[in-house]
Order: sequence, then structure tokens, then C-alpha cells
Amino acid sequence: MMEDEESSPEEYDEYDDDNDEDSREIVVPGEVLTEEVNKFLPGRGTILNTEKNKIVSLNIGLKQIKRNYINVIPLRGFYTPRPGDKVIALVIDKNPVKYRCDINAKDLAVLKPKNAMKKSKIRGIRGSNASREEMSTDKFDIGDILVVKIISADRLNQPELTTIGKYLGKKTGGIVITIDPPKIPRVIGRSGSMIKMLKNLTNSNIFVTQNGRIWLKGEDIAHERILIKAIHKIEQEAHTVGLTDRIQEFIINEKEKRGIK
Amino acid sequence: MPLVIKDEYPKKLFRDDGKRLDGRDVDELRPIKMEVGVIKNADGSAYLEWGNNKIFAAVYGPREVHPHHLSKPDRGILRVFYRMATFSVFDRKRPAPGRREKEISMIIADCLEPVLFLELYPGTCFEVFIEVMDADGGTRCASTTVAALALADAGIPMKSLVSSVAVGKIDGKKIVDLSGIEDKAGEADLPCAITWYNEEISLLQFDGDMNLDEMNEFLKLIKESLEKIHQIQLNTLKSKYLELKEESAKKEESKAKKGEN
Repeated sequence: MMEDEESSPEEYDEYDDDNDEDSREIVVPGEVLTEEVNKFLPGRGTILNTEKNKIVSLNIGLKQIKRNYINVIPLRGFYTPRPGDKVIALVIDKNPVKYRCDINAKDLAVLKPKNAMKKSKIRGIRGSNASREEMSTDKFDIGDILVVKIISADRLNQPELTTIGKYLGKKTGGIVITIDPPKIPRVIGRSGSMIKMLKNLTNSNIFVTQNGRIWLKGEDIAHERILIKAIHKIEQEAHTVGLTDRIQEFIINEKEKRGIK
Repeated sequence: MPLVIKDEYPKKLFRDDGKRLDGRDVDELRPIKMEVGVIKNADGSAYLEWGNNKIFAAVYGPREVHPHHLSKPDRGILRVFYRMATFSVFDRKRPAPGRREKEISMIIADCLEPVLFLELYPGTCFEVFIEVMDADGGTRCASTTVAALALADAGIPMKSLVSSVAVGKIDGKKIVDLSGIEDKAGEADLPCAITWYNEEISLLQFDGDMNLDEMNEFLKLIKESLEKIHQIQLNTLKSKYLELKEESAKKEESKAKKGEN
């Protein structure tokens, strides 16, 4: 199987510096982060007030100072699709020209058959030779789990998906669970440390996506159960320190308790 | 013949020792208890006990608007559904939403809108469901307070929280946070809400008679009480995460001690 976590370390470097993790305090909307506007700039999840003498938080999250930017890393929130994201989608409707997929965002996403078929297979793009089979929506069924890439998304239109690419396509077998999307970086961990640990300890394949869905498949149901429990524990304790070690200990203890080697 | 019970109010609304009927000072709030994350399937939720008021709030969104013609192409909308349970008041309340419910839903929506960034979510809606389980005066203020809390819990970007309280006049004395009897029998009442971003008044209703000087004094009184309520709101939101954080910190400590031994 060719499973791999979609984690680029650069993208999640907000969780990388463990050193100042202790200093991160929990802030709530409207809380004043600093009054030194000359020294700091408002970053992600923050805003200047109208008098421009205070930086206030917009989210419930963790305060973080990076160079001269003040950010708030949200603890709760929803998924906003961005072009290039690889996500797990559920086909919930189809008609002769398109599939409609649930990607855990505010809109349903559209998958057109031309984006579900390799280009080389479609001959005569202008319709001259394209066979009916290739341009129809027979490839997937309602209820299928797909791994897709988002090719276009903005706040006005429905996102458009594709299944052409590495690791993309229909998933058979395994379990999909959903967690809070802002907590996904924690499941991946600092440059993938958490997910590596989970994979090694439970002997499973895990595929984590940005929209909060996690596909997993272990060698048996016992391992999968432990893994699901561990992921929910990560979700619950996402804002705490020393999480990887604690989860490792948790899995080892659970394995002993349940008599799995 | 239906049983008709006439509303009877005590002649005196102050006790001999100068305190109010429930033993409060004139500027004392009823006991307030708040909790967030009480409804599992909602995106965000909160529960409030304010004196005898017991109110749940649940937030969903951003999601599609039904009926679709209500959606706006350039911005999202905020819909508030304030409802009272049939058993929440002395006489059985008819469950259908009446004139009063519709008005209160509207004023709460108008009151919360300025703190949200609705222009970022065109064509969608945020829905707030407020269910009054037990009512004893000041439910519109309590509902506004708890709705703001639920919105923050849902992780929706907000400029700040909103807090609300009612003040009133009985026998010429200015009192804070009117209970059910005081609300009906008093001379005047003035519910008011503040958005803490720039401290603007977001809701101001008025019933009874008073002059302009008294009004100004009332507004000062409101500010003082709202600061107390705001502090409770902040603590409630943070405590959900701080408790877990402390727990994990304790575990780390005990582990370190074990390691030493």
C-alpha cells in the first residue's frame, strides 16, 4: 500500500518550537494581546482595534509570538478549502455530468468526470472522439470514500476536485474518523513525529488530511481500536505539553491491558 | 370555567433592611454559572444559569441557507432562534414562536452581528439556537451573553465577546439585574449589551419612565456590572482548556518524580 501522511514540515512549523510552548497562554476573542503596536504586528487570528493602539485576538486559541508578529493558533474552528489540499471526500450525490462530494466544508465540492480520468485516456477533448464511458459518472458510486485534491476553491464558488495524482483515488477498506480540523497538525506532530510513532506502535497505515478526516487501517480491529482511542486523546489534549510521550505511554499501557503484543 | 390566576405583585419590593426581596443589594447580580461545550453534536454550545434562568445555546455554521432565497450573495447571515420551553414560565407557554420570540431573536441577531466577520462567508449562514428552559426575568440579556459564548466556543472569528445586563428603577432606587417580579412591577427597565471591541453599545431597549440624567447614571451602572459578567465569560472559555492543561502538567510532574526515585 502506498499510504503516506500529507505533512510538509514547513506548513506546520507553528507547532515546531517546543521550547516556548510553556509560555503560550490561552486567549479568547476580544482579549488584548499587546499594547505595544510599534513593536509587534498583528498576524494570523488577530486584529488591530479602531484606535490602532491594541492588538486583540479573534479566536479562542494559543498566543504565539514569532519574530515581530503576534499570532493566535485556533483551538476550535472549521475547515476552509484551499487549492492544493489533499482531503478525504465522501460521494453523496451524482448525476450524468458530475459527482457531488462532502469534504467537511461549508459547500459541497464538485468532481467532474474529466478530472476523475487520466488525460491520456480521453481522446478528442472537444467531444469528437470521447467515448461515452469515459465521460460518464460510472466510475464511483454514492457512498464511496475518495482521496481527492482540491484544484480550485474560493469563498464564492463550489470547490472543484480531482482524483488524478499520487495517492489519489478511491479508498477501499479501512476506517475514516473525523476530528476537529485545527487539531490535525497535532496528530501529525513536529515534522511527522507523532504520526510515525502511531504507525510504529500500532502497525497501521494512517492517512491524515487537512479537513479533519483520518483514514486508518491496521492489521486487525484491536489495533485499530487503540489507534482511534489515541487519536481522540490527541484531539482532546491538543493544547498540552509533552503530548507525544504521553500518547506513546498511553498506547503501550493500553496494549498491555488488552493483551496485544 | 378555566382557572384564572391574576398576576399579583407584593406591594413592597424592598425588605425592611433595605435589601431586595431575594436578599440582594441594589447593585448586586444574581449568581451566574456558565459552561461551554455542553452539546456534543453542535459546532459550539454553552449553558448558562443566571439566578433562576436556565438557558442553552447551540451554534452551527457556516453552512448553507435554507430557505435559499434568504442567502446574500455578498455576505453571510446570522440567524438566531430564541425559543422558550413550554414549562419555562408559570402558565404553560404555547410552543409556537410568537411575536415576543421573533422580536427577541431579531434583537439578539442584530446585537451579535457587529462582532462577526460575516462578509468573509458569502452565501452561508450561522445559526444560533437559544432554548430557555427556565425563565425568571432578563432572559434576553442572558440569551445574548450565552449566545456570544457559544459563538466563541464554535471557533468562529469574533472581534470580541458580547455581555448584557438589565438595570431598572424601583421606588426611585436604581437596581441592577432585575428578577421576574422586579421586571414586571418596577417603574422602568433598561436592557443593554456591550461589544467589548471598542466598548460600543449593541443593544439598548427601554420601558418605563426616567429622565436623561438618570439614563446616564444607569449607563455607568451597566458598565460596572458588565465588567463582572465579561470576566466570568472569559474564565469559562479558558477553563475548558486550562483544566486539561493543569492535569497534564500534574502528570508530567509525577512522572518526573518517579524518574528521580
